[in-house]
Amino acid sequence: MNGSTIEKKVLEIKDTSELMIDLAYSSLLYDNKTIAEEVYDLENDIDEKYDQLQREILSEVQKGNLSVDAAIVLMNLSRAGEEIADAAREIADVELRDVELHPIIKLSIRESDEVITKVQVLEQSILCGKNLGDLKLGTDTGMTVIAMRHGNNWLYGPNKKTCIDPHDILFAKGPEDGEKHLIALAKGETNEI
Amino acid sequence: MKKDKHRRNILGRLQRTPKWEKEEFKEIEYEPTPVKDLLTEMKDISELMIDLAYSAILFNSEEIAEEVRFLEVRMDKLNYDIRMMTMMAARSKDDAEQLAGILQIAQAAEKLSNAAGDIVRLMSKKQEPILPKILRQADERLFRTKISEKSAACGQQIGNLRVESETGMRIIGIRRENCWIYNPQSNNMLLANDMLIVRGTDDGFKELNDFLMGKQQVLE
Repeated sequence: MNGSTIEKKVLEIKDTSELMIDLAYSSLLYDNKTIAEEVYDLENDIDEKYDQLQREILSEVQKGNLSVDAAIVLMNLSRAGEEIADAAREIADVELRDVELHPIIKLSIRESDEVITKVQVLEQSILCGKNLGDLKLGTDTGMTVIAMRHGNNWLYGPNKKTCIDPHDILFAKGPEDGEKHLIALAKGETNEI
Repeated sequence: MKKDKHRRNILGRLQRTPKWEKEEFKEIEYEPTPVKDLLTEMKDISELMIDLAYSAILFNSEEIAEEVRFLEVRMDKLNYDIRMMTMMAARSKDDAEQLAGILQIAQAAEKLSNAAGDIVRLMSKKQEPILPKILRQADERLFRTKISEKSAACGQQIGNLRVESETGMRIIGIRRENCWIYNPQSNNMLLANDMLIVRGTDDGFKELNDFLMGKQQVLE
């Protein structure tokens, strides 16, 4: 175990926890229990990683590979990520209770600065058969894909290599005008990315 | 944009260093505000705070840290407001069940703001080099840049430039002389010599930066 693997793990907690917040709000917006359950699973995963990480950081300090100051920073940074993940789980929790969601919840998520959108990719769309790395949707439409549904399978936090197939359902977040652009692309109404 | 009209002027305002200490123990007073507006503001502020907190430690900026502390106090106040409003709205058992969900989300937003507060506490006079090193490896990174006088962005509104939908870069804050605009809205203008803190990918930043340096005349 060296320093850079520890850094990677801290970063993983940071990135995953932020994705979880987006997923948690998406689960409420689309009344989607599958996404909410994924947030729960990710949270368990983060708890485990966080416990492991604490041990690893301390053992690196013991071996003299890591300074006390650096260790404190790493511990606190990962704890903040863990807290963010907890908050995401609390949000997803609302979706998993057997209570109808108050309409205000969806409205306030919709009115927020960053919107979350869901769109199905049609066969005639230019997005079909391309992977997210080549498409650069984030840079060109401002929309970041946070989850995808492919048939009965779900993919959370897709990466550059993820390929979009016809009929995939994309969940993405970004600015309002980016949303229209993404929907037009997915429906094949425009080919201009 | 329509939604900007409803927004109270906490976000996207030009301001000097916030006075969070003054805000802290302000009296709690019942003030009718739609729960929807409160919840939206809490969601927006909590997300902004996380970005600001990481920016503060990445750029070692005491001013941004101060804004995080100010927003933390603001969140506490909003949390009181939303509790009062939901209590007033409950008329039946069904109402109570549904409104409990709203309070749960508000509570989570407040938890996020506390996490942001914890992140800024990592700041110290001597910055630990491991911090920027880690944050620079994240998927979505934070960048800082200055608008050149030559840029076509000068005097334009953020919404008209479509900064985020053209580049994927989200403007977290603008520093103008001694003032800041945090979470600028679509009607906020960009001016020459503004310093921006933005969040997004390397590719998006390159594109935006070329435009702000005046190397590119249009964003596309």
